[in-house]
Amino acid sequence: MKKTVVKICMGTTCFVMGASELQELEEIIPKKFGNSVDIQGVTCLDYCSSCSEAQAPYVLVDDEVINKATIEKVMEAIERKLNNGQE
Amino acid sequence: MFIDIDCAQEKKYNQNTYGDYFLSKRYPQSGDLIAVLSDGLGSGIKANILATMTATMLLKFVEAGADIKTACEVIMNSLPVCKVRKISYSTFSVAHCSEDGEVRIVEEGNPNFVYISGNNVVEPPYTVIDSDTFTNRHMRVYKLQLKLGDRLIFCSDGVTQAGLGSPELKLGLRRSGLIRFLLEKINDTPDISSSELAKFVVRVALNTEADRKAKDDTSCCVIYYREPRRALIFTGPPYHQEKDNEYAHEFYNSDAKKAICGGTTANLISRELNIPVYNNVRSVGKLPAVSQMEGVDLVTEGILTLTKTYEYLENGFNDKEKNAAYDLMQFLLSSDCIEFMVGAKLNQAHYDPNLPIEIEIRKNIIKKMAKILENKYIKKVTVRYI
Ligand code: FES
Repeated sequence: MKKTVVKICMGTTCFVMGASELQELEEIIPKKFGNSVDIQGVTCLDYCSSCSEAQAPYVLVDDEVINKATIEKVMEAIERKLNNGQE
Repeated sequence: MFIDIDCAQEKKYNQNTYGDYFLSKRYPQSGDLIAVLSDGLGSGIKANILATMTATMLLKFVEAGADIKTACEVIMNSLPVCKVRKISYSTFSVAHCSEDGEVRIVEEGNPNFVYISGNNVVEPPYTVIDSDTFTNRHMRVYKLQLKLGDRLIFCSDGVTQAGLGSPELKLGLRRSGLIRFLLEKINDTPDISSSELAKFVVRVALNTEADRKAKDDTSCCVIYYREPRRALIFTGPPYHQEKDNEYAHEFYNSDAKKAICGGTTANLISRELNIPVYNNVRSVGKLPAVSQMEGVDLVTEGILTLTKTYEYLENGFNDKEKNAAYDLMQFLLSSDCIEFMVGAKLNQAHYDPNLPIEIEIRKNIIKKMAKILENKYIKKVTVRYI
């Protein structure tokens, strides 16, 4: 099965808008999903300038963009992904 | 050649301020450096004021275009004499150094400096100029040509007289004792920095005192001509995107130590040169963590890290955890010549009033940083907007 990849934007805008709160995902994700999910920090994804900085922080779960990301929103998105994969 | 200069001081035991004063200034345009060490009569506040005054006046004089010989002559002839002790209010040494190794030195009253070339002491010729107004006052004037690796060591008499009167050293450490220690140290660590060597001399002087308490204000200033340690910092995307590739190559091929400050900048270089960047999810303190890239010594986030680094440079590092800004500060302070390549493209997203904090414009923070590095840390800084 292909791994799901979670990319957390650590760019300046996302960081000040709350991405620093998301680092806990580094522990929560493996606990819940084992190693079927990969997690990476990335630099500015450019959504802050092309979409809106007010929607930051941004997280990518595979190709799904999550804006105003929170731990809950990211976890939900991963779950959705994994469930879809099973169907 | 780069002129590495630093001074270490210890105040007289039981005094609350230094009676010696050290001042130095670099002039980036000409590459010149002027350093003054002055020893005020007595100790404590009075000596401090005398020394500070003498050193500041000398520097201002030379800055205004006077050559140091003339400046020193004026000062020598005008410095008052202490009514009680009938000796000068303060003594001084001034060095005017240029990058090519030419050094002019004037000394009045301070112990003779020590000139070390290779592992030998050189005793250069000098001329004596007597004061027109004071019979017992005269100054020594030197003109030297230094080579790579040469050092000059200046001290206040607190060093040469350390241990005075003790059973082993009736006349104190003296210049000869100081030279012995210096040669030994330089033999052990030929590359020792000015700051380390100056600290070493002050330590030696203290250790020479029976109870390790300084009997007089003790200062040592070291000037060392060496190959400069260069650092190059790339921050912000270039204004013209079509130049990205050119600048990325220029940066990467430089033989300086390299840092990238900015995620977007790191991406750009990674893309243009096809070298991966590894980012961390972890943040340390309130800053994003450093990233890794082969061939680059330090990769950090941009504006937040720069702002924090500036704060540390100004007020000292005072956080619990060593974060990216700490690393960047160390990176800067361990270099002599620092060049910033500053991309002039603005990140619009940073200037939205909705952001919870105000973000400084990159150009401004770099300007402030360059200034403090130059003035407080005596670095040679160039800023290039690209
Ligand atoms: S900083 Fe996250 S998208 Fe720009």
